[in-house]
Amino acid sequence: EDALLPAPQNITILSTNMKHFLTWSPVIVQGETVRYSVEFQGEYEREYANESWIPISECSLITGTVCNITEDISATVAYNLRVRADVGAQRSEWGTLKGLFNRITTSLTPPLMKVIADGYHLLVELEDMGPAFQFRVLYWKKGQERRVLQKVVKEVRSVVHLDTMEAGADYCVKAQTYVEAINRSSSFSQTQCVRAHGDKSMWL
Amino acid sequence: TAGNKIFHFGACRVSTSMTEIRAGFTAIKANIQARDPIRSLSILSYPHSLHKVKSSDRCCITHHLFNFYVDKVFKHCRTEDSFVNRKISSIANSFLSVRRKLGQCHEQNQCMCGQESTEKFKQILANYEGLNVTSAAMKSLGELDILLDWME
Amino acid sequence: YGIGKWIRKPECRNINRTWCDLSNETSDYEEQYYASVKAFLNGMFSEWVETTRFNPLTDTKLDPPMVSVSSTEKSISIILTAPEKWKRSPEEESISLLQVYPGLQYNVSVLNKKTKKRVSFEKDVELFLLNLCSVLLEIGFSKEHCIATLKDK
Repeated sequence: EDALLPAPQNITILSTNMKHFLTWSPVIVQGETVRYSVEFQGEYEREYANESWIPISECSLITGTVCNITEDISATVAYNLRVRADVGAQRSEWGTLKGLFNRITTSLTPPLMKVIADGYHLLVELEDMGPAFQFRVLYWKKGQERRVLQKVVKEVRSVVHLDTMEAGADYCVKAQTYVEAINRSSSFSQTQCVRAHGDKSMWL
Repeated sequence: TAGNKIFHFGACRVSTSMTEIRAGFTAIKANIQARDPIRSLSILSYPHSLHKVKSSDRCCITHHLFNFYVDKVFKHCRTEDSFVNRKISSIANSFLSVRRKLGQCHEQNQCMCGQESTEKFKQILANYEGLNVTSAAMKSLGELDILLDWME
Repeated sequence: YGIGKWIRKPECRNINRTWCDLSNETSDYEEQYYASVKAFLNGMFSEWVETTRFNPLTDTKLDPPMVSVSSTEKSISIILTAPEKWKRSPEEESISLLQVYPGLQYNVSVLNKKTKKRVSFEKDVELFLLNLCSVLLEIGFSKEHCIATLKDK
């Protein structure tokens, strides 16, 4: 098994909203299909398991240059990742991520949000971003910016009821995500305001 | 949600991603427990259940147990199954974070060890050393839900 | 599990049905259990076959809560009652699942049958009020109304 085949380069992690993808530059071998395999190593493996590496079966001998490692980056510790290339009997050395990756550094984007005035009820529809996410929703009556109310939504099921509105008043809403596992929040979404529709259909 | 749980052991507060640990264990529970044929011994519950531990000793016992799993158990549970190995890695790395916080509590004397927890942990080690390493480690891993249930 | 002593179940000897109620034997939910069964016919016996390890706390199914609804001047009050743990006998003291699962939470959804809109609430309390706007009440809100519970879905 000689190592003429160059190791994959430019190994990076793209991590947004707790979804983590490993990417690398393709290894070019004219007329050949190059395949790649990915392995990871958590702090536990480095410190207590002889620096062992664990293969990711979904990214073993793949032809693409992206691997979804979200399932395996499942603790808030530092992870190491590496990729190697295979062409026929040729196998490259491992290309290793520069520096370690901790999910605490994931970038958090504001949630997509839709505010609804259903009769006199102030409702909000939030994007389902997965089990790691909670939402902090702030809402207030326009003109009473000092009396902001808050609701923490732990599980996104359907429309969330915020409040019962007074006729003719405008109500404004904004939201941010919160990820307990890394104790971080996104920035707030754009503010959306609505007014109670007195004549629309009512409850029940 | 990812279900971080804040455990209050007296002054010691430990945030734990319990749902992730539980999900990891549930995914491999049947596989791991099937590798443990011994019905007549429990590492954690023999002779007395963890539930008998005084609440004042809970922090110390938890700290001991997280050290036990990190130092003695996970490393001897490597299997031929890549999926199982990945889930064990997930649990082990989550345990590392929790153990670190418990260690900080211990250093700040918020996690005092009484006679009972010391005795209980000695019994657990005796149960563990009563079997060969791999059997003991696999049995301990198969009993992780006993620890998680007791913690919750 | 952990004791290694198999306990016989007299009520399930020589039966031809394919189930056996082991609620009594597994009622201590701080323990875990194995069960095993074998078949026989005309003097021929099968091997004992075991279950996987049974953890009463995590391997049981939860019934939905009881839901009672009443309307007040400007709101509906919704009262949720957690199911009870299985009892050996009617005289035995009732244990609410709230005591078994301290972190028990409820997902309540309220369906507006006219607008077909469903609104959800996460609650970890057993009594809460849903405020209605005053206009609603003027159009003759009937006492009789239905609240869709999870069970009715």
